[in-house]
Amino acid sequence: MLKQLLLNGLISGSIYALVALGFAIIYRTVRFFHFAHAIVFTSGPYFTFLFKNVFLIPIYLSIPLAIISSTFLGCLLDISIYRPLRQKKASSMILLLASLGIYIVLQNLLSMVFGDDTKSICISKILEGINIFGARITSIQIAIICITIILLLSIVIWMKKTKMGKLVRTVSNDAELADISGIDSDKVILSTFAIGSSLASVAGILVAFDVAMTPTMGFDALMMGVIAVIIGGIGSISGIALGALLLGLAQNLGVWYINSQWQDAIAFAIMLIFLLFRPQGFFGKPLKKAEI
Amino acid sequence: MDYFLHILILINIYIIIAISLNLISGYTGLLSLAHAAFYGIGAYATALMWLYLKTGFWVNIWVGILVSAILGIIIAYPSLRIYDDYFAIATFGFQMIVFSIFNNWVGFTKGPLGIPGIPSPSIFGWEVSSHWAYLLLSGFFAVLVYWLTHRLVNSPFGLALKGIREDEIFTKASGKNITRYKMLVFIIGGSMASIAGALYAHYISYIDPTSFTINESIFMISIVIIGGMASLRGSVLGAVVLVILPEALRFIGLPNAVAANLRQIFYGALLVLFMMYRPRGFVGEYELTKK
Repeated sequence: MLKQLLLNGLISGSIYALVALGFAIIYRTVRFFHFAHAIVFTSGPYFTFLFKNVFLIPIYLSIPLAIISSTFLGCLLDISIYRPLRQKKASSMILLLASLGIYIVLQNLLSMVFGDDTKSICISKILEGINIFGARITSIQIAIICITIILLLSIVIWMKKTKMGKLVRTVSNDAELADISGIDSDKVILSTFAIGSSLASVAGILVAFDVAMTPTMGFDALMMGVIAVIIGGIGSISGIALGALLLGLAQNLGVWYINSQWQDAIAFAIMLIFLLFRPQGFFGKPLKKAEI
Repeated sequence: MDYFLHILILINIYIIIAISLNLISGYTGLLSLAHAAFYGIGAYATALMWLYLKTGFWVNIWVGILVSAILGIIIAYPSLRIYDDYFAIATFGFQMIVFSIFNNWVGFTKGPLGIPGIPSPSIFGWEVSSHWAYLLLSGFFAVLVYWLTHRLVNSPFGLALKGIREDEIFTKASGKNITRYKMLVFIIGGSMASIAGALYAHYISYIDPTSFTINESIFMISIVIIGGMASLRGSVLGAVVLVILPEALRFIGLPNAVAANLRQIFYGALLVLFMMYRPRGFVGEYELTKK
């Protein structure tokens, strides 16, 4: 039982890590809470559903198409709404409210078009899990863990080795200075939206394959991602991954002691404790001044 | 006719909510996403007091105010240490926790089943049961809240709140006790919202957790922002516009499920548009700026 819970923690931690990392990459360049990230997450599986079940495109084409579409959606949000707001020097709270508004509009649009019911994009009939060290794991769940590790590593390499990755780090450090040095920060920010949105979309599709999908699935996932970011500290990728893993494990092991319906409340309580006493997270250096 | 009165009663309730949230977010500049929690506490305090102790309206309202005041102090505490959007996220966390208590503490709050059959209030032996009477009662509270808040924001107290909003360090340096002001503003704002919750519970006679979600909190802040930050007339205007306009959707003959979604799309879109083109709302004097 304990092994199973640890494994489940690892699986949910992987999903949280993907969401958290995408969110954090965007946050570090734009410095506001991009809540609409939740709807980008949800759009992944719903695009897959649209391509696969409505347009009847084969699954191996539907998934890449869906990821591209979600990425496009994330970029579109940046270009059409966030960029004009940035140009007006809108405060992070105004951007936060705008992104909440976007989330509400798009989520209800999804509900209207596809209905509020739980949908599935499962390809095969439900397989019995494979037995590893006495814990059961399905092939989708193995895929979740492997894909997360691969994506995390590629993001680290992208940030460290490529020119765009370096530009992203530059803009994250000091957007104004980057602008003065002739870096097109709008372009850099757009690339973070592209990367972050594709990560969210992949995570959404994985969840839909593993469990199911509803129009509000993204909100819960994003909340856990944000909490993971706050626990891990927004500054470091390994911190975020560890924060996500800790949150996943804490939630699943918590089931031993506390009824599972309280998982969310406990996650938010942990978040509040971190916000109050260690806003930079376990590992991060403070990015935002805690004092005025 | 009853439908028309029903809308007016709802407007009165939302005026109370908008004004109280405006005090926190508009006048003091503390963006709060936890207002539905206060509203819910008012409603649940009322319903639970009636359910377990069979107390009446006037007792229930005070219990709601008391519990809200305690929550107000707890929520105000982070505002002393974290600012701006981080504070908004903290209030978001409180909202989720309070909702979770309404929804999951089934033994006490009845959870998702809700609490049916809350009776109409009676005032000095006179039962407020007709729509007209309830309009008067809710109108009385709306006017009372408007008047109190008007007095408050035009007093030295209100000036100190605006001082905190515009320049906290300066206000602190001029000898104002920031901690006390921030706690008081959440106590007052939260109590007013809990009055609205009590009115709602007695009026609708059935409450369940879905009326007090984070979406409701976002709807409330939308009213305040679209009406106008730091403007009482703005809050009244915002409540009127945002309650009435979605009702128009019913007359087009849309099915209820679609109308609910359209209502949310409507205020979500308005929120985005106002943030982009008029962040201070119709008649507001403040837009959310960084501290």
